[in-house]
Amino acid sequence: MTAALLASVLLIAACGLIYELVAGALASYLLGDSVTQFSTVIGTYLFAMGVGSWLSRFVARGLVARFVLVEIMVGLVGGFSSAILFLAFAFTSGFHVLLYTLVFVVGVLVGLEIPLLMRILRDRFEFKDVVSNVLTFDYLGALGASLLFPIVLVPRLGLVRSPMLFGAINVGVALWTTFVLRTALPARRRLQALAVAALVLLGGGMVWGDDILQLGEGNLYADEIVLARTTPYQRIVLTAWKNDLRLFLNSNLQFSSRDEYRYHESLVHPGLAAVPAPRRVLILGGGDGLALREVLRYPSVESVTLVDLDPEMTRLFTTHPDLKRLNHGAFEDARVRVVNEDAFVWIDRPDQIFDFAIVDFPDPSNFSLGKLYTTTFYRMLSRHLAPDGVVVVQATSPLFARQSYWCIVTTVEQSGLIAAPYHVYVPSFGEWGFVLAGRSRPAIATALPNGLRFLTAAIVPQLFDFPVDMDRVEAEPNHLNTQALVRYYEREWREVNR
Amino acid sequence: MTVSRRAFLTTAFIGLVPKSGRRIAGSLVNESVVLGHQLRDRVPFAKPRETIRLPLVIVGGGIAGLSAAWRLHKRGFREFKLLEMESDAGGNARWGRNEVSAFPWGAHYVPVPGRSLGLVRELFQDLGLFDGQRFDERHLVHAPRERLFIHGRWQEGLEPAVGPTRRDRDQMDRFEDRIRDFAATGRFTLPMAAGRGGDQPEDTLSMASWLDREGFDSSWLRWTVDYGCRDDYGALAGDVSAWAGIHYFAARDGDDDGGPGPLTWPEGNGHIVRLLLERLGPMVQTGAPAYRIERRDRQWHVLTPQAEWIADAAIVATPLLVASRIVQDMPPVDTVYSPWITANLTLDRWPHERGFGPAWDNVLFDSPALGYVVATHQNLRIHIPQTVWTYYWALAAGSPAAARQWLLGQDWSSLKDRILADLSRAHPDLAECVSRIDIMRLGHAMIRPTPGFLSSPIRQYVRKGADHLFFAHSDVSGLPLFEEAQYRGVTAADAALHAIGRVT
Repeated sequence: MTAALLASVLLIAACGLIYELVAGALASYLLGDSVTQFSTVIGTYLFAMGVGSWLSRFVARGLVARFVLVEIMVGLVGGFSSAILFLAFAFTSGFHVLLYTLVFVVGVLVGLEIPLLMRILRDRFEFKDVVSNVLTFDYLGALGASLLFPIVLVPRLGLVRSPMLFGAINVGVALWTTFVLRTALPARRRLQALAVAALVLLGGGMVWGDDILQLGEGNLYADEIVLARTTPYQRIVLTAWKNDLRLFLNSNLQFSSRDEYRYHESLVHPGLAAVPAPRRVLILGGGDGLALREVLRYPSVESVTLVDLDPEMTRLFTTHPDLKRLNHGAFEDARVRVVNEDAFVWIDRPDQIFDFAIVDFPDPSNFSLGKLYTTTFYRMLSRHLAPDGVVVVQATSPLFARQSYWCIVTTVEQSGLIAAPYHVYVPSFGEWGFVLAGRSRPAIATALPNGLRFLTAAIVPQLFDFPVDMDRVEAEPNHLNTQALVRYYEREWREVNR
Repeated sequence: MTVSRRAFLTTAFIGLVPKSGRRIAGSLVNESVVLGHQLRDRVPFAKPRETIRLPLVIVGGGIAGLSAAWRLHKRGFREFKLLEMESDAGGNARWGRNEVSAFPWGAHYVPVPGRSLGLVRELFQDLGLFDGQRFDERHLVHAPRERLFIHGRWQEGLEPAVGPTRRDRDQMDRFEDRIRDFAATGRFTLPMAAGRGGDQPEDTLSMASWLDREGFDSSWLRWTVDYGCRDDYGALAGDVSAWAGIHYFAARDGDDDGGPGPLTWPEGNGHIVRLLLERLGPMVQTGAPAYRIERRDRQWHVLTPQAEWIADAAIVATPLLVASRIVQDMPPVDTVYSPWITANLTLDRWPHERGFGPAWDNVLFDSPALGYVVATHQNLRIHIPQTVWTYYWALAAGSPAAARQWLLGQDWSSLKDRILADLSRAHPDLAECVSRIDIMRLGHAMIRPTPGFLSSPIRQYVRKGADHLFFAHSDVSGLPLFEEAQYRGVTAADAALHAIGRVT
């Protein structure tokens, strides 16, 4: 019996350390800055253990029953701690509060364990042996856990299921104790039933742990990842759920196949359909070929030049069957020429003239991308425009990033073009803004190609009306030497995401 | 297979030896110390093989000499030659290039010239950098401009966001007020010759003494002032005159605060040199060290190993230190020069960052050096996988002579290690990113405007020049600045044309 009790010391010590490691690792994983996360988690945990040890003095009677109860509670709270934290991170903004609360609760319970156990063992050993044995096995358990955690548990079971396994061990110790010390437990049936229920819960958690994790990452990659590539330029991730394909570049949603037609029809047709018999079209960015698909609807178009930095991107959308279906195999059209080059470098060679240019870059979320939204860029771009050529620019959301949007409009105007701003609702993005521009006021389409899924000739003029909450605001133009846009954008989206 | 105990132990403990980083290539480059010391020691040079007669000769191909040539050329005068001792013209605006980027070896920017700097604006307009209204945005420094590594992180801007107390901020405000007052006196201008002359009491004490006297003891303010003096003069505030220290802050019309600029290029001011040489190339002869300039029969004889140039007038556009060793009857020069190290680091990848991302000018607080400038910053590409950093280190501490002695004793490897150690505080993985470090040692990089320089006899002498001999160098102003070099070059050109009666 003595050996059994000492074995349980070893096990509960291991469990205690695992919960601490899980909390620290999870916090570092989700929040970064591992030094801070581990320090604060360990500190809180050790302090809570001290509180638990102190509280143990108030446990007077029913020592063994209390011990069993504490074990079951540790098992449940500790076991589900990381699942709870994952979900909290994904769906609430109270991650920090919950993290330290959970760490504290588990710490208090673990702090109760050893003093209670020592008092249980007091009657069976001499005091010096109790202290020596319990602490020896306590530390041994800690060593075992700290080695198991990185080598076996995290790689094999992951951060969600590992603590559940150890929760089950805690509960197992509780159950075991009800048998070993049954003489001290008059009402052990109820405790045993409780322990079994806890084991069932934890077992269920083990089985469905992956689903919990997926649910947790659901705020971004909710769906199955069908393709992921890291290129020198970006990380390309494609997810699928039922018939919804979603493309993410560096974790930013680029399109959802369920409503991308709204975006791409609105990007292309209001401007292009108003150009009389357009022949030469330029697309900057847009390596997914979706804007290209819309451009190719025009029989008068003789050539389309698509400039996208990342060859992997255009290759994927040329060859992948699902993606090809999406852009109607646009890249196989003989009129299309793909150039994989930095847009600014390409545009600096003033040798080609276009009737229509589409500028579809990622949002100006950093100083590098911000360069593509400057007066310098638009001035260089306008040198590629035919005298009555027109350009359209994707220009982030006039609702969520109102000043950013109007900053882009102002910048286009500053570079000597006349702008016609418009916007459209794309469910997966929200309200989205575009800027049409030309040397003279750009004409707006009155007739559209056949077969569109969203736009009608009647809707187009309405897109150029801005409701009050998206209406024009003062903004500085975006110059290379000021990058006002990146600062607006950073501030506005931070407020949205808060 | 049997493994000897020794082999086993070696393998087992090999992990304990210090991590050996990647091999870094590089060398000491553009060493002009030998030629310089030959001039100093009057070592006999080869006798000139031929004699060439010309109305005008310019000695020295830095910004001053090139500006003189630009002025002459612009006034339609082509009968002159510019002699440069190095294999490339440019002086302190020299530059280099490798497979990753062009990069500067010296001065790397020019503040946007205000209306008082008409000559600089005219030059930039000629070179296509300025259209009379606006400076081409591509040449204005792109955002973000500056960042500071302090408290273990990078922050945007050079003013510490955390640390200064209300008392420090009050002092900084008061300092700015004082500077505005000084600017209003009209005595601190660019070019300095445009300023109101007369008594300059700030020339008699050091910048540090002036700060003490005015009760400016905030450590943050003192750091800012010291940094400015190291940046422009290669010296600490205790070693430059208060006049020069105040000039640094008061002479530019607020362009540095939120306004556009400065103007900068991957190759630094080498860009201006390059554009000037495109126009003046045929008039410039490199690899031609003038080792003697003497007056004979009402002519100036300029002796180089290739030719003896006999000219009606000469423009000496070298540092005064060099001039004093080659110009006949020139009084001794007691000016102080600051020693520097410039290094160009080629990076295969960018190091990891803590805090605000890379800017153009990257300063490490508490570093003896000035930090580094990213040569690819003005590149318009979105994806820039490799880069070159230009690292500037003014050896400002201690006496210049001792610093020069120390510098001469250093080899490439020891300097490389020091540079990496300094930068690794902000970029712990830097050694794994760098493939090459080239280092330039400059014993006399720039003139140091020490107290009393304004009224020193040598300055009075060079401002006047000699009969048909004109000095053109920023040393004549005593301020090692582009604007001064250009101004001195242009005025020397005008004076020389007048002297030889070729005014048009």
